[in-house]
Amino acid sequence: MKRNTPLITLLTGAALGVVLLISTMLATPSSAPLNYSAAAASSAAPASSSAPAESSAPAESSAPAESPAPTRTTPTRADFAGRVGGGGGSVAVAVHGDKAVAYVCNGSTVEGWMRGTVQGDKLVLTGKNKTHLTASIHTGTVTGDVEAHGTDYSFSVPTVSKSSSKSSGLYQATAVVQGKTIKAGWIVLGDGTQIGSLETDGSGENAVTAPKLDVATMTARIGNVVLHAVPVSGVTGSGF
Amino acid sequence: MTAPPTAPWPVPRERTTSTAAKLIVPSLIGALVALGLGIYGRVHSPTGIAINIAGFSSPGTVKSWLATGATLFAIVQVGSALVMYGKIPRVTAPEWIGGLHKWSGRIAFLLAVPVAVHCLYALGFQQYSTRVLLHSVFGCLFFGAFTVKMLILPKRGLPGWVLPVAGAVVFTILVVIWFTSAYWFFSTFGIKR
Repeated sequence: MKRNTPLITLLTGAALGVVLLISTMLATPSSAPLNYSAAAASSAAPASSSAPAESSAPAESSAPAESPAPTRTTPTRADFAGRVGGGGGSVAVAVHGDKAVAYVCNGSTVEGWMRGTVQGDKLVLTGKNKTHLTASIHTGTVTGDVEAHGTDYSFSVPTVSKSSSKSSGLYQATAVVQGKTIKAGWIVLGDGTQIGSLETDGSGENAVTAPKLDVATMTARIGNVVLHAVPVSGVTGSGF
Repeated sequence: MTAPPTAPWPVPRERTTSTAAKLIVPSLIGALVALGLGIYGRVHSPTGIAINIAGFSSPGTVKSWLATGATLFAIVQVGSALVMYGKIPRVTAPEWIGGLHKWSGRIAFLLAVPVAVHCLYALGFQQYSTRVLLHSVFGCLFFGAFTVKMLILPKRGLPGWVLPVAGAVVFTILVVIWFTSAYWFFSTFGIKR
């Protein structure tokens, strides 16, 4: 009868939610969220050191779906990319174990590559010409500040989603042109937009707008020089 | 529509219970829903991964459009409710207004569910900025408030203000959610598919 229709609405929504949640879980590649599967693995081993965390899990089982208690909230392998605050450029951060690589660029003269270590959920990365980045890793996001060529950016950028765009991510290419080592970097975002800069010599002090990266062939052309781009990815470890 | 048409409406005992007594159980259930979602979002390790819908460039755009759709249907909710309560001058409620109200509400709710599943599964309850914290809190509250609204809807003998207030709360929360997500997304990244 009519009296029950609001309840039916509620239950339909709940059922839809559960179906979507399960199908999403099934569609999730088991290798991608390493922190998640690591947590699942540790809860399967009763003698593991995460026993105290597990004992608290049943008390929280009022959550709508069962999930293993996270033993670590920051992913050990992850890629993040997005626009910096204000939209004047993009930043990409690749985390691979305790190492991290980051690139920031405005598609023109302001850019920089940085390397460093991960301590807990904190990132401190440095590069040439006093380029530096400090950030904290949250699950699904990395938030912090980066300075390159005297320009400060704040950012909060999400995980690179390969499901939405296969080519999104961070890419680099180096070549020797007329005796000088040039290094290009591109950040390709999920919507397909790319932004890239090119260091015109080994010092990294001078940069120009990078030629367009053809994501289908992973090449870019400067005159008759063809640059071959390689991904820099914490998930795969490429570029580390 | 399946029960015999002779079924009496309210059980007589319900008439004697006070307004507070009628509201307490739905409110508690709603609170548990909101709390449950929040706890799940907090303790579940977000995966950053979700299935994408064909035709959209990213999960962010899918969610933004679904949320915008839900918000537009919610505006229809407010409009149809105003007509039903006779609050629009010189407009008499047409016969179909009840159906419009019910179905726009159902569609809005069902549009919001996939967004919430993605939020909770892929992103979790986060607090790294005011926008994100507000969105997390109100996102959990929305489903609690909606549950309360649905559970008190069939109750008879409630004071006239209860349903409008519940509806207004649900709508307000949804608008806050929309401004802290889809509006932010479109104004940051541009309006796109």
